[in-house]
Amino acid sequence: MRNKKLQSMIAVGMLSSISFILMLFNFPLPALPSFLKVDFSDVPALVAAITMGPVAGVLVAAFKNILHWLFSGSPTGVPVGQLANFTTSILFILPVYAVYRKASNLKGLGFGLAAGTLVMAVGMSVLNYFVFLPMYTYFLSMPELSGSALTESIVLGILPFNLIKGVLLTAAVIVLFRSMRPWIEKQRSLYDS
Amino acid sequence: MMEKMIFGRYIPGDSFVHQLDPRAKILFVFLFIAVVFIANNAVTYALLLAFTLLVIVLSKIRLYFLINGLKPVLILLIFTFLLHIFFTREGDVLLEIGFIEVYEEGLRQGIFISIRFLVLVFITSILTLTTSPISITDGTEVLLHPFKRLKLPVHELALMMSISLRFIPTLMDETGKILKAQTARGSDISSGPLKERLRAVTPLLIPLFVSAFKRAEDLATAMEVRGYRGGEGRTRYRQLEWAGRDTAVLLVLAVFAGLLWYFRT
Repeated sequence: MRNKKLQSMIAVGMLSSISFILMLFNFPLPALPSFLKVDFSDVPALVAAITMGPVAGVLVAAFKNILHWLFSGSPTGVPVGQLANFTTSILFILPVYAVYRKASNLKGLGFGLAAGTLVMAVGMSVLNYFVFLPMYTYFLSMPELSGSALTESIVLGILPFNLIKGVLLTAAVIVLFRSMRPWIEKQRSLYDS
Repeated sequence: MMEKMIFGRYIPGDSFVHQLDPRAKILFVFLFIAVVFIANNAVTYALLLAFTLLVIVLSKIRLYFLINGLKPVLILLIFTFLLHIFFTREGDVLLEIGFIEVYEEGLRQGIFISIRFLVLVFITSILTLTTSPISITDGTEVLLHPFKRLKLPVHELALMMSISLRFIPTLMDETGKILKAQTARGSDISSGPLKERLRAVTPLLIPLFVSAFKRAEDLATAMEVRGYRGGEGRTRYRQLEWAGRDTAVLLVLAVFAGLLWYFRT
């Protein structure tokens, strides 16, 4: 009798390392501020959520950011960026997981990814307005962005960025899933039972 | 690159700060973040700066490493400083060049805010510069122990974190190998148009995922064969030892907070 709990805990650890490594291969998007960077570190978190359940996915997203903080530190001292990245990952993977559980095929995954992209883009715009951008300016001790400047930076920066990021992730995951589907389903039946 | 992946930002050393228990250092940083916000006038900010400089000296970290981590925000810091100087219009006029007027209050606010920012960044950086990631994990596990009552699986979380730390160099190595193998076939993940980069990602991710799950299976078997039964009654290879100096450091911080409170207005 194999200990499934131990094995999935170890798998979460490994996927977190992969996620962290992928985070280092980030690149900024043309025409958007350079602190908004795209990377594929959400893919391992998504694989964890699909094969081992939502808790595993959330854990991978959390560990990736803790590792990032340990290894690169935070320019603000308080890890605001990491906190924002963690929230973004969760907002993206949980909808995908929820839809994919109901319809476990390529179509279900496609709808899930579309839902995830929307939830992430809208959710992060709202959260940036009320939480992260004010937090960021507070810890950097910059004068607070007020009304129009805040709205402008979200509508022109955060929203399109997360939409593009979501579309890129969707494309990557679909390509990946097409060739990995049998393997993913096998892992899923091993762990998620 | 490899070296960096094993130790993170950690710079090995034998200074007073290096020798402190990781638990003491983590507690110190958390309390210090709160203490920083007590300061509100010239005396308290000066004390804060002096105290931080003392910690830097004690940690024997070369200033270069601290400044290096600061580079990305230095411009923002300067920008904020200038913004405060030019747009706060209170107090006496100190300087007048053409249409630019520098007021006393603006200069004061600019300096205070820069000090607070630098102090926060320096102290949190010193934690990660003088403590290895695995010590931070061990220390956090012990500090979070009380939360076990609230059903927080502290031991399990720390185990996952340790495994993750342990496998970063291994998986990094593997990523490097796969990347080289793919580059030899003409694919390129770090440059070129987006579409090309997307296509280069898949052949990198598949072997990584498959090997990660395989490794997880092997490691789970290996751990079980050696009798791993969860956190209860487990003995440790790396022992944490709380010494007198750890208590002393926290007491010093408490006295310092008292001092700041006394001088604040």
